Amino acid sequence: MMDSVYGFISNIWLNYKYQLLFSAETFLKVFIFINGIMALTALLTLGERKISALMQDRVGPNRASIFGFAFWGLFHPIADGIKLLTKEDFVGDRVNKFLFTIAPIIGMTAILTCFAFIPFGNYIDLFGYKIKLQIVDIDSSIFLLLAISSMAIYSPFLGGYSSANNFAILGAIRAAAQMISYEIVIGISLIPMIMIYSSGSLQDIALKQGDLFMGLIPKWGIFLQPLSFLIFLTAATAENKRTPFDVVEGESEIIGFFIEYSSMRFAAFMFTEYVELVLISMIAITFFFGGWQVPFVNEAGISILNLAIPLNHILISLMQMAIFAFKVAVFSALLLTIRWTLPRFRFDQIMSFCWQFLLPIALFNVLLTALFLMR
Amino acid sequence: MIRIKKVDNRELNILEKIYIIEIFKGFMVTFKHLFRNLFHPSKIITISYPEERIPIEGNAGKRTMHRIKIRADGTPKCVACMLCATICPAKCIHIEAGESDKKIEKYPEIFDIDISRCIMCGLCVEACPEDAIAMDTGVIPGGAYDRYKNIKRDGLYMTKEELFRNLIGESPSRKGAANRLANEEFDLEKNK
Repeated sequence: MMDSVYGFISNIWLNYKYQLLFSAETFLKVFIFINGIMALTALLTLGERKISALMQDRVGPNRASIFGFAFWGLFHPIADGIKLLTKEDFVGDRVNKFLFTIAPIIGMTAILTCFAFIPFGNYIDLFGYKIKLQIVDIDSSIFLLLAISSMAIYSPFLGGYSSANNFAILGAIRAAAQMISYEIVIGISLIPMIMIYSSGSLQDIALKQGDLFMGLIPKWGIFLQPLSFLIFLTAATAENKRTPFDVVEGESEIIGFFIEYSSMRFAAFMFTEYVELVLISMIAITFFFGGWQVPFVNEAGISILNLAIPLNHILISLMQMAIFAFKVAVFSALLLTIRWTLPRFRFDQIMSFCWQFLLPIALFNVLLTALFLMR
Repeated sequence: MIRIKKVDNRELNILEKIYIIEIFKGFMVTFKHLFRNLFHPSKIITISYPEERIPIEGNAGKRTMHRIKIRADGTPKCVACMLCATICPAKCIHIEAGESDKKIEKYPEIFDIDISRCIMCGLCVEACPEDAIAMDTGVIPGGAYDRYKNIKRDGLYMTKEELFRNLIGESPSRKGAANRLANEEFDLEKNK
């Protein structure tokens, strides 16, 4: 009996070895990557409160403590989570319950799916088995990324539409108009990058940014396409509905599409905003700041001008992942500061800024890049 | 004094219309505050209240929570003359007099102070002819969940039990006319 079971298992292992290894590898990558993003997001909610406090000469959250240890408010995300979980899950009488329930889920799912295309390292060679440090590597990943992230606009629109509340539907209309407009600009601002790196795979794009100009300046997208970066950053901030473009929510005055939401449903909207912030910083880093590339470090080791120090392969891979995490953390913090510096635009200014200023400039940038490459 | 601020309503020049330089100027301001407060947290003017307190200025710091002094025989020095309740501008003192068979017949049966209404003016201490009421406990009242609950149970209402006390280490006072009479009676009884 035991023999036959053992034989059955070993048979499966011999026949499906690569499938099983691939599943385990992918599961592990998804588990680690998504958990890392969740942890970063929870810290960003604290970081936003702390950074805004410091910018406004306040102290910020520092009261949530365990056994009297507050650690500068490190437990506030946990306290927020417990608070939101234990609040009443209120659903209004006239709301469309099905759409009301799936609205936050759509946004969260769409944004979390996009992380599959982000490369967070090159590859690790473990006992001859090559693990790619990216969950999905396909040639059209940039297009899939843009397509799936566009799904996120269903979330505010359906949320506002199903709430049966006039303020909510007005917010939903503002959200739909703004997000669809800026979606186009995001797509067009990334076209010059695809043209320069002549690839749609994000791993390829990150790999090609490892070269150096004149052996000193890393060949990052920001040095090749600064205009494209500025357009992308502006459009992505608008897409994320954060402050210079936050008439969708207008937290302090005009309440937006989630007016009828409470407890964890509301938290899902809020959390999606911060997850989207991480996604934006990851895309920006992959395209414009060299992705996981460590400056002056290539496959073999450190190399500056004529100096070359060989390093272990595993060490280099760990270094790449660490520098990617570091870049993401710094860039996310920079995105947070935008909110606490710039005043809000009027809604007509937002729309005319998009269609009459950003879109023509983005198109002009595509044309300019094409002329430059043809030369 | 009225201050006049002249608003500059001139047209934006070309550099300001591009807006990017102005954005960087804005970042300079916010980052200056961010880094100053990050590296010198002591320069933030916030006081974390229950842990840190600002010392109260001048004589106001000497007027703290009330108490009624107690004689050597354990009775309150108060003779229920109602002067403090009369002068109290906030009308927060409530006294009902009682009668005893001692030499000083009148004493307060009920003596309540509603601290939530008290304005800490100190007039009751000034008015007291017997030097019975004092504001020298050093406790600054405030911060409670129910103003009508007793002060021991997280309220702001003081009755005899909390009010009638001597400070720790303080010997019973021998000042005041009625107090002298009461003390003479107490000494006679003790020597008997």
